[in-house]
Amino acid sequence: MKKTEKAKAYFFRYWQLYVMLIIPFLYFLLFKYVPLFGNVLAFRRYRPGMGPFGTDWVGMQYFKRFWGDPAFWRAFRNTLVLSLLNLVINFPIPIFFAILLNEVHILPFKKVVQTVSYMPRFISTVVVIAILGELLSPSTGIVNILRMNLLGQKAIYFINEAKYFRWIYIFVDTWQYTGWTAIIYLAAITAIPADLYEAATIDGASRTQQVFYVTIPSIMPTIMVMLILNVGRLLSLGFEKVLLMYTPDNSMVSDIIDTLVYRTGLANQNYSYATAIGLFSGIIGVILVSSSNFLSRKVTGEGVY
Amino acid sequence: MRTYRDRSTILFQLLVYTVMIFTLAATLIPLVSMTALSLSSPKAIVNNEVFLWPKNITFEAYRQIFTYPNFFRAYGNTFLYTFGGTAISLVVMIFFAFPLSKSALKGTKFVLKLVIFSMFFSGGLIPNYLLIANLGLTNTRWAMLLPFAINQFNLILLINFFKSIPIDLEEAAIIDGVSYVGILTRIVLPLSGAALATVGLYTAVFFWNDWFNGLIYLKSSQFPVMLFLRNIVTGTSMVGDAAGAGDKSTIAISIKSAVIVTSTLPIILLYPFLQRYFVKGVMIGAVKG
Repeated sequence: MKKTEKAKAYFFRYWQLYVMLIIPFLYFLLFKYVPLFGNVLAFRRYRPGMGPFGTDWVGMQYFKRFWGDPAFWRAFRNTLVLSLLNLVINFPIPIFFAILLNEVHILPFKKVVQTVSYMPRFISTVVVIAILGELLSPSTGIVNILRMNLLGQKAIYFINEAKYFRWIYIFVDTWQYTGWTAIIYLAAITAIPADLYEAATIDGASRTQQVFYVTIPSIMPTIMVMLILNVGRLLSLGFEKVLLMYTPDNSMVSDIIDTLVYRTGLANQNYSYATAIGLFSGIIGVILVSSSNFLSRKVTGEGVY
Repeated sequence: MRTYRDRSTILFQLLVYTVMIFTLAATLIPLVSMTALSLSSPKAIVNNEVFLWPKNITFEAYRQIFTYPNFFRAYGNTFLYTFGGTAISLVVMIFFAFPLSKSALKGTKFVLKLVIFSMFFSGGLIPNYLLIANLGLTNTRWAMLLPFAINQFNLILLINFFKSIPIDLEEAAIIDGVSYVGILTRIVLPLSGAALATVGLYTAVFFWNDWFNGLIYLKSSQFPVMLFLRNIVTGTSMVGDAAGAGDKSTIAISIKSAVIVTSTLPIILLYPFLQRYFVKGVMIGAVKG
């Protein structure tokens, strides 16, 4: 009796919230969970016009096929090499940048640098790659003009050559995300108690020494968490950027898993085969994220998620 | 006061300011250079005389792109996707986040788990594409406006913000007989300006910058300006029928630069005013609930 009354009161108070929730929740299920279950297509044969999730079960057929496909292994290797290289180079740069930015004591100047350095994060990848194409153009790009006029070297078609692809990708990432990523480290540095620095000053530590003995050790937990997060995201490269930089001439290094899925799936309409490749890399991604999160719990005492 | 000075301190300060000035230059030079190219005469460009300052200033490139109907249409499309997509997204996310911010509501924990799970494991490119195709959205503008309304990161940001509003306000309103719809519209939303601005701006930037979804879902008359730009760069589409006049490649360069400048200008102009919201967003997101 009391229980039903309680339920009644609960319902009377909250029914509006449930009504509110229904449409967004269905919307969410439709656009996030239907595609998620749509991954079954990796195990089913797709026939045009016969429903989005395929017609009959074929088991692991598509997985076996890509397992024996050199194009897949090339894309897999390219993805790993590019991500690892990017991590090694672009992980430390924002940390250094934040530490140095914190040492700027002319406040208006600091503000200007900060504001300007975040900006590239909001510029479209298309624009970034278009600008890059113009700056690196063999005929009119500044880079080649300077190389020709000052160093007397021949023009290089940077965008099109496979050996430059990875470095250009990484450099663009540096340009676009250093300032933005540094925000998190900067916040961690700002949170360091001022008396630590005062004590260090009294002990006679110079600014440089304070950076090494106060700042860096204090933000170490943040660095660890960010590192773990980045390892978790290892397989998710900037797909759009790679696609925009992709040319047939650099494909031997620029073809990553995502572009392979795009080409086999949407360009050649091998839907099931592409879904199988996508699903495989998605599962590896989940394993990476959850194991790095587990590691974070072990090391820093708390998980990121 | 830190008055302690030694040689390493001075060297260190030198390093600090060198890096900062380098950062400023590296960030700004490409943008300034594009502007200079877009304002220069084709002749100066072909003679490699243009670097950071326009030579023989002319607005010819801008005049030209504004006569191209396909550029105008693309620009208009982008405005439509940005405003429409952001509006739809905000409405859906507010009505999703508000109930989910009430921990006392049964079932919210489960829904939140579903939300978080979908951040890590999602349907890939192909299942998403087939869904949109089977809903009959391909080749319609709805393909840009509907599927991206819910972004889990922004949703969590909103939920956390709603949670931070004191529960006393809600209790007092309930006693006064105000419904939850009233609480949302009269108490919560007026207090959420900063959070809504943050989420709205992130969403708007997403729509403004998107090109890939346009590429796979739309036909050319519906393309957003970023896809238009990408097609000029890859040479998939001609800028306009006038591109044949004069030196083709250099006209293309000043025109390309003019498209780059005009398509990025709204973001750059608004950016100084908006950046505090963006930064707020990254901080709230970093704390995580």
